[in-house]
Amino acid sequence: MGLGLSAIAMLIFGSVVIYGGLAFFLYKAFKSMKKQ
Amino acid sequence: MAAVGSAVGLGNVWRFPFVCYDNGGGAFLIPFFVAIFTAGIPLLILEFSVGHWSNTSPPKAFKKINKKHEWFGWLTVLMPFIVATYYVVVMAWCFSYMIYSFDLRWGSSAGSFFTEFIGDTGSPLVLGGISVPILLGLIAVWFTIFFILYKGVKRIGKVVALTVPIPTILLIILTIRGLTLPGAMEGISYYLTPDFSRLGDINVWIAAYAQVFFSFSLAQGIMITYASFLKKKSDITNNAFIIALADAGTSFLAGFTVFSVIGYLTVSQGIGIDKMPISGPGLTFVTYPTAISLLPFAASIFGIMFFIALLTFGIDSAFSMIEPISDGINSKWKISKAKATAILCILGFFISLLFATGGGSHLLEIVDHFISNFGLVAVGLLECLILGWLYSIYKLRAHANETSEIRIGIWWDYLIKYIIPLVLGILLFVSIINNVITNPYPDFPHWLVVTAGFLPLLAITIVAVLLHKTKAKMEVES
Repeated sequence: MGLGLSAIAMLIFGSVVIYGGLAFFLYKAFKSMKKQ
Repeated sequence: MAAVGSAVGLGNVWRFPFVCYDNGGGAFLIPFFVAIFTAGIPLLILEFSVGHWSNTSPPKAFKKINKKHEWFGWLTVLMPFIVATYYVVVMAWCFSYMIYSFDLRWGSSAGSFFTEFIGDTGSPLVLGGISVPILLGLIAVWFTIFFILYKGVKRIGKVVALTVPIPTILLIILTIRGLTLPGAMEGISYYLTPDFSRLGDINVWIAAYAQVFFSFSLAQGIMITYASFLKKKSDITNNAFIIALADAGTSFLAGFTVFSVIGYLTVSQGIGIDKMPISGPGLTFVTYPTAISLLPFAASIFGIMFFIALLTFGIDSAFSMIEPISDGINSKWKISKAKATAILCILGFFISLLFATGGGSHLLEIVDHFISNFGLVAVGLLECLILGWLYSIYKLRAHANETSEIRIGIWWDYLIKYIIPLVLGILLFVSIINNVITNPYPDFPHWLVVTAGFLPLLAITIVAVLLHKTKAKMEVES
């Protein structure tokens, strides 16, 4: 059994928003730490 | 780091999967994501701003805002104390499972093993006894909390440096194993496929908001306490986003682990995906052990490591639940931190004995349902009303913007003042009516469910007012 289209959409949405967002804010935090 | 440790805990790997399963899997995810962005992150910024600005414990912080509001500060710190009394029981279960991992004692039937292990009496009215492994686990966990806390927050930083990354790595390994099991895709499909017909079910929405409150440690004074320890130049907004997304990411990941195993179990037993014999707090004690047993090699070693990881995941959340009230007592009555922590741990231990009994697991489920769905959501609502309407919210926004790279706009004021209180107010009102009219746990008497659910909430509100009224050595500057 494979995943339906809506499940794949949810997977992409969750991954991009949560993990992508986390990577972005961590990058910002490290960048400002380096500046200091 | 300590705040990440507090936010990422059993709320993600134990509570999120079973709440998600109980609320229809994919039907829960959309409300969960909405709750993160409409309440979780804005309130995290709010609590961080209050803690960072006041630089003190929640009771003192609310007293600083207005002398009349000290009771609310006490209410926020009492909330996690009550949560800790049953949270620790789940950790005691993990403690026993860590030992059982040596010989994978749950065998091929983790479900019936769990029922026997807790000595399930089938009803919260029949408490039954406490099994020795659970009792020993309770003692060990409460002692560890005391040991970490009595020296203060510096020790917390050292503990979470280890307790955050290790469990995450082990969870990823277990997820990979879960996803490679036959039938796993059935479970994942149930987890990810949105059920738009359930979006009109208010119970799913309140469960989603409650999960975000529980998991993000919101409305519990925890984030206010931790923010009070932050450096003056700490970036409030960035910290709030990192904590929220790290927390949500751990929950989302744990969902894959648990639902892949649910898919495997239901396919191998030939039952419907929504017909698991165990749901609620026991669910993850069926799915994780099953996944461990099915590892191709070194299952025992992995099991031991995994339950140690769960314990470490839980321990930073557990001591963060005791820290705010201990800090509050310390600053009001000038009782040493060690003494305050000892009193709280002993009191907490005796209360947690109730949840550790055979019938206590049902009590745990009921109390958790009411504390999270109504207690935390109500405190979150009151927090918005007090800080949004009785205090100048723009001052807190200005404080957050002073140190933050990403500046928050006036939209945040509107969220705190109007939108969040309105959403939480409606959800709370409808949900309370629903729970009073319709029994959320039809297997048990309705009067018992309502009494066991609302009594702790009433008790801590009374205690909060009494603590407010009690004279002490607390002085608030200006």
